[in-house]
Amino acid sequence: MSTTALPSVSDPDKVYADITRNEYLDYKKNYGEFEQELLDRAENDTTLIDEAKVNATGAQGLMSGIADRNADRYGVPLTPAQRQQQRRGLRRQNTLGYAQSVNDARIAQKELNQAVIGDLINIGQGVNRSSLGQLQGAAQGATQRKNAYDQARAASKAQTISTVGGLASAAIFAFAF
Amino acid sequence: MGSKPKKSEYKPSAAEKASAAVALAEHRYFKEKYDPLLQKMRDASKNDDSADVLRGRANADTMQTLAGGASYDRAVNAASGGSEAQAYQAQLAQADKAGLKIKNDMQLGVLGTARGQAADAQTGMAAAANMGASRVLTKAAAKQQVRAAKTAAAGQIGTSLIMQGAKNMQSGGEVKMQADGKTPMKDANGNVMRTEKGSFFTPRDDDGNKVQGFGNRLGYSDFFSTNPYN
Repeated sequence: MSTTALPSVSDPDKVYADITRNEYLDYKKNYGEFEQELLDRAENDTTLIDEAKVNATGAQGLMSGIADRNADRYGVPLTPAQRQQQRRGLRRQNTLGYAQSVNDARIAQKELNQAVIGDLINIGQGVNRSSLGQLQGAAQGATQRKNAYDQARAASKAQTISTVGGLASAAIFAFAF
Repeated sequence: MGSKPKKSEYKPSAAEKASAAVALAEHRYFKEKYDPLLQKMRDASKNDDSADVLRGRANADTMQTLAGGASYDRAVNAASGGSEAQAYQAQLAQADKAGLKIKNDMQLGVLGTARGQAADAQTGMAAAANMGASRVLTKAAAKQQVRAAKTAAAGQIGTSLIMQGAKNMQSGGEVKMQADGKTPMKDANGNVMRTEKGSFFTPRDDDGNKVQGFGNRLGYSDFFSTNPYN
């Protein structure tokens, strides 16, 4: 688009209505699905809990390998019983860590999901407020039109009656009934 | 009496035209330059990798700490690695939480902005609807005004017609006078003779002649008489 030439607007009312209608349709097209996904995720997201479980499994193997490598590095002569005890200790600690981590993840997940829901509700409330305002305007317009129609009809009736009355009155005077 | 209103007199001013043109240009510019940015941000928020980056950092931090604390004693310790495993998990959980929060905030930001635009559109639509309603009302009022004026005019014409018709019918009927101008003429039965009376549409003058033709009718009506007592 040229940044120097200005478009010609012959009917601003129509252009305005077209733009606003298209903005809404654009929103539905570009962000409708995105919004629905976010709503669904806010209610059902469990990624933190799932990750916590995966992390615990990974940590077990990782720390076991580190312990073995350190033992080799320092030339520690571990007896099979010691090694078995070391692994048992690692498993126990890891299991405790798993429980803690998953529980913490549940709390964190709930906290984040609720924060998302809260923000979504705030956004939704803004939309709802706009919509109600819009509806209020439409209702006011409809009422104004109805009132104007009723008034016009009454005025028309009054005018007709007045005219007929005038004619009748003229006829009465003219012909001296 | 004024002439009919000209549509050209109700055209928008140069300032209004310029204002509308600039507004439309700005809107198009926004749609062209900024709308795609928001859509890109929407896509980026879906594929946000902040959690991966944070996990990598948490992993590195944990490993650095563990490597720094490596010793013969720890290697000998039968419980070696247990507390580190817990710390590792906790670090990754923190990273996951922070990553998810970043993603959520990003998506909510995109949605809030998009919704804001849609809300602006709705507000605009309401304003346009209001303007439309106002215009409809104005048009209806104008039509009603014309209708009332037509009815009133029809009433006036009808009234004038009846009044004039009655007046026409009253015209004529004057007593016919003999040549002396004082003695009324009488018929064979002794009734006073009168000139013929006018009809609804055609009056008769004092001599009983029909008043016909535009000029005669105008003269008969005294329409242009300036005598206030007539």
